[in-house]
Amino acid sequence: AFPIYAQQAYESPREATGRIVCANCHLAQKPVEIEAPQAVLPNTVFETVVKIPYDSNAKQILGNGSKGGLNVGAVVILPEGFKLAPVNRLSTELKEKTRNLYIQPYSAKQDNILVIGPISGDKNREIVFPILSPDPAKDKKAHFFKYPIYVGGNRGRGQIYPTGDKSNNNIVSALSSGKINKIELLDKGGFIIHVTNSSNVESTQKISPGLELRVKEGDTIQLDQALNSDPNVGGFGQNETEIVLQSPNRIKGMIVFFFASVLAQIFFVLKKKQFEKVQAAEMNF
Amino acid sequence: MSILKKPDLTDPKLRAKLAKGMGHNYYGEPAWPNDLLYVFPVVIIGTFACSIGLAILEPSSIGEKSNPFATPLEILPEWYFFPTFNLLRVIPNKLLGVLSMAAVPAGLLTVPFIENVNKFQNPFRRPIATTVFLIGTVVSIWLGIGATMPINNAITLGLF
Repeated sequence: AFPIYAQQAYESPREATGRIVCANCHLAQKPVEIEAPQAVLPNTVFETVVKIPYDSNAKQILGNGSKGGLNVGAVVILPEGFKLAPVNRLSTELKEKTRNLYIQPYSAKQDNILVIGPISGDKNREIVFPILSPDPAKDKKAHFFKYPIYVGGNRGRGQIYPTGDKSNNNIVSALSSGKINKIELLDKGGFIIHVTNSSNVESTQKISPGLELRVKEGDTIQLDQALNSDPNVGGFGQNETEIVLQSPNRIKGMIVFFFASVLAQIFFVLKKKQFEKVQAAEMNF
Repeated sequence: MSILKKPDLTDPKLRAKLAKGMGHNYYGEPAWPNDLLYVFPVVIIGTFACSIGLAILEPSSIGEKSNPFATPLEILPEWYFFPTFNLLRVIPNKLLGVLSMAAVPAGLLTVPFIENVNKFQNPFRRPIATTVFLIGTVVSIWLGIGATMPINNAITLGLF
């Protein structure tokens, strides 16, 4: 849930395949939901809600090896022209909902992409994004259309840093095959595993604090075997929805047309009823 | 209601037609002008209103620019291709997969010929055609749902 890493490394958070780049470091897949209105009028403030569900009892391993609550973060990729609603246009209700959320544009160039995080997941499993729709009358790039909205949501720490280093929120795989003759418990936490291989060469491997070992002294291990159980309780998910930028004039025209249609239909039926009377009287012209 | 014309059963021509299961347009409400002139426009206007309403409220979205070098995360064809798409990805041999797709229309084409001896039109009296239809419908819905699932649930739907 560190959007700044993505902001520094990628110009656009959505790759050509449709994958959102957060998935490059947050490797586990978890669901995420988005709630947006079906249609919005131009130059209007509306809210979209990103839901990042996870088990409230889940605890994750922190950087220093202790356990702690999960953080969440989200990215919302809006159509071009849509942007974060300025504070002075928010309703009091929306202000209240977004009071503690520091939503920012992805970059100076792309104010249609919003990111937030890392924020505490306890209270923010549902993140409200206040959004301002564009006005095609002023903004030549915006049109009355249906647009896709892409959203990515993450909970928990990542597995890889942008430098390529693994974080401690990972499975540690064995560096060599052989027999574990000693597991040394360090004062600061963590372990050193001493492994003797088939040609009697001893090697050591350090395991950072906070991880739970799955192997014990006397075990024979293979190269790349997992030495601990997977500490990652979080994960990243992405989703998409569609939104219509609706023209008020089209709606008015449609209502007028519907009204005229219903009127015409009623008159056709009335005319038929009238002609049936002529038929009933068996008048032939 | 004298608008509804009664069948003239003294007419031998009409009786002959009725005996063959035809001639139903010789009695009842006249098509012209009651239906054609007055009710048809009501339906046509209603259809127009439905299409125009949908076009305004739910316009079709313009998809992303295609890029032949970037495979989308989720590969799925249009919904009506889901069952055959599922066949194609589940069957390991691609030639068999393509043949299985071709077998669907080919198999359907044989149904009227297989049941050609049957003189009835009523589907309840055509057991083979009805059975093929019902089984085909269930199988295609099943495979269609399977197409949206991961490959290991494509056939079982994760149910068993």
